[in-house]
Amino acid sequence: MKLFDLGARASNFHEQLVPLDELQNFPDARAVLLEAEHDPERLKPFLAHLELVVLRFPIFRDGRPFTQARALREYLGFNGEIRAEGHILPDQAAFLKRCGVDSVVLSEGSDPALWEKQLHRFHEAYQRAVLPEAPLGVGLRVKPN
Amino acid sequence: MKRPTRLSAGEKLVLTANRLLDGQIVWRDAFGQWLPQIRHAETYDAESAELALENAKHNAQRDGVVGVYEVAVQDGSAIEPVSVRERIRAHGPTVHPQFATEA
Amino acid sequence: MNAPVGHYQYDQIDRNFLQSRIEEFESQVQRRIDGTLTEDEFKPLRLMNGLYLQLHAYMLRIAIPYGILDSRQMRKLSDIAHRYDRDYGHFTTRQNIQFNWIRLEDTPAILRELADVDMHAIQTSGNCIRNVTSDEFAGAAADELVDPRVHAEILRQWSTLHPEFTFLPRKFKIAISGSPNDRVAARFHDIGILARPGVDGTVFRIFVGGGMGRTPIIGQEIFDAVPEDRLLATLEAIVRVYNAHGRRDNIYKARIKILVQAIGIEAYREAVEAELALMNPDHYRLTPETVAAIRARFAVPELVAPDNASEVLAQQRIADREFDLWVRSNTHEHRASGHIIAVVSMKPAGGIPGDATSVQMKRLADLADVHSFGELRITHLQNVVLGHVRQDRLHDLWLSLREVGLASANVGLIGDIVACPGLDYCALANSRSIPIAQKLGARFGNADLQAEIGALSINISGCINACGHHHAGNIGLLGVDKRGEEFFQITLGGRADQGAAIGSILGPALPEDDTVDAIARIVDCYLGKRTAGETFLDTLSRLGDVPFKDAAYEAV
Repeated sequence: MKLFDLGARASNFHEQLVPLDELQNFPDARAVLLEAEHDPERLKPFLAHLELVVLRFPIFRDGRPFTQARALREYLGFNGEIRAEGHILPDQAAFLKRCGVDSVVLSEGSDPALWEKQLHRFHEAYQRAVLPEAPLGVGLRVKPN
Repeated sequence: MKRPTRLSAGEKLVLTANRLLDGQIVWRDAFGQWLPQIRHAETYDAESAELALENAKHNAQRDGVVGVYEVAVQDGSAIEPVSVRERIRAHGPTVHPQFATEA
Repeated sequence: MNAPVGHYQYDQIDRNFLQSRIEEFESQVQRRIDGTLTEDEFKPLRLMNGLYLQLHAYMLRIAIPYGILDSRQMRKLSDIAHRYDRDYGHFTTRQNIQFNWIRLEDTPAILRELADVDMHAIQTSGNCIRNVTSDEFAGAAADELVDPRVHAEILRQWSTLHPEFTFLPRKFKIAISGSPNDRVAARFHDIGILARPGVDGTVFRIFVGGGMGRTPIIGQEIFDAVPEDRLLATLEAIVRVYNAHGRRDNIYKARIKILVQAIGIEAYREAVEAELALMNPDHYRLTPETVAAIRARFAVPELVAPDNASEVLAQQRIADREFDLWVRSNTHEHRASGHIIAVVSMKPAGGIPGDATSVQMKRLADLADVHSFGELRITHLQNVVLGHVRQDRLHDLWLSLREVGLASANVGLIGDIVACPGLDYCALANSRSIPIAQKLGARFGNADLQAEIGALSINISGCINACGHHHAGNIGLLGVDKRGEEFFQITLGGRADQGAAIGSILGPALPEDDTVDAIARIVDCYLGKRTAGETFLDTLSRLGDVPFKDAAYEAV
């Protein structure tokens, strides 16, 4: 498994990734897998000892994991690692990062250089996101990290 | 998008696509080349079309075409698509005669 | 040149952003050509940048935010039409322009040209928040309560490459108006916003879940008076609920309107309020400073007219009957004395609704420089507005328009037909829309006849996706395919304004020529039965559709 880090937080490998529905049977689990249809609220009782939440994209056009990531950070105050896996495109790198995702699982044949390029393509954004970002000029604009 | 499932008497199938680089409508000839004029198109019966379609889809990226599919035509003295849609594709928009596809 | 009025002026940050976006798109095109991206992956990415693969070629839809552009931008569009297309462009019902004969390999170069005049094609398609539309008379109309353009620009910026909302279940359209006379079809949008002055600053009435397509639904009010500082938070919450819960298993049921129908407006409102309760209000606050900073980037026209401007116009109307007829239909009252709003009809009798040649575009740019501070507006009815014309110069403008065949006196009348591109261009259509629009336009081409008939809208869609807004036409036509022949289903009674209604189907679909004849009989029926001062809609609502049905089908 090849990981690509989107931000400052270095990704950590976990032996055991537990699907959300089985989480209650694994009280020691540190890593959980969320499908796109899952409500992140359901993680609430487990968040304190979770280190990793993996969000799975069934297809890159399914934008629900963006909302899940943001809810984890913004509503649930989750401070561990958020990782995206499944069908994702490098073109989504900055969106993922700005919604609070730390790392992605690169698919077979995926070019990390392309991810790197896409991650740093834009030096300006037009709305606040999850990450703290400095204002840029006047109006709504911010400078992505 | 309509896909012919069964052909009526006198009808055949041809293969069409758009060229990737410029979007130009093209038709597949007997040698597997994609050409802008429908008159060059190779006609198939329903059975042989299936194999040709599979083959053409497989080579679409190499051949620089996109959206390969089959079109039912009247196979008379000239090849003429059965549906209005495909006739417009073959000959150009009806509202701008100056943009008609060169025959 | 002076700063262009009417729209937000870019600074270097905005221009840098556009360059990055172009480089990104160019790399996507390259990856598509070399096979790194499949067509299935490339399609959503190119659509997000306005590029379709249509019937004959690629089609590029260029954003005209809230419909307003300046003369140098219009000249650039003219130039692109001439050099990269077949010398014409097509104004759309979302106030944009599209070019029908574009080559994929040319698009990065076209986007660079557009960026030279601060234009782009961002989010003119795709399952994201689309180009925001607004009132074509914004900031000019006498009947306006709040100028909606600053907030339209705020929404444009906020929605641009929004990290959370770029892969929604389906497309998402927002319109904003500041007039009690709804000219943006607010109730037919995913989100429709009506701004008005509140006790303590501007407040926003918000409708949600309207739309046309195969399931036409009139939007419902979700909030009556959202204060300005909560506007972005509220929109974030509405779109967030949709992104999380909108259907993704069936594209025909994926719009927000289906979700709102499924759970009900009360449940939707509760879900939005639950989000708002969790959100940090400071993080999402739209501050007065931000609004002021964006407002400061709009140049304001200096409206000075001679005292006798109105008098001059009145004299010219008396002296020139043809001009008078045009003024009646093609102008709207301006907020400033001595000024008037002029609507240039892009619907010449027998022409293609919304098409403009490169020469016409250039001429319109010149006339905008002379008569309206270089400002032009595209309407959602596919016409062009010069927003600030001096009344004593209106006759000069009209004479100039007449020279280039753009003086049709039919705005809001039966000849002002809205039609989608239909099967002549569109890969989704079932029937052509343009030929029947041309036949109807020619049939009712006479200016006196149109004035006699009065307010009456005809909307034509070539398939159930309803891009011609047939559900909202006083007379709506939907093209259907019957065993390879084009038929048209007639609906009566639709309207898109504050009294929004969906047209009712009159009877069985008819072939093209029979449809034209049936509409002529429907119009004759109205002229025969109306009482003094009644519009077509008035007579229809008084009598119901039975007499019109009898008239339409009598000869069939």
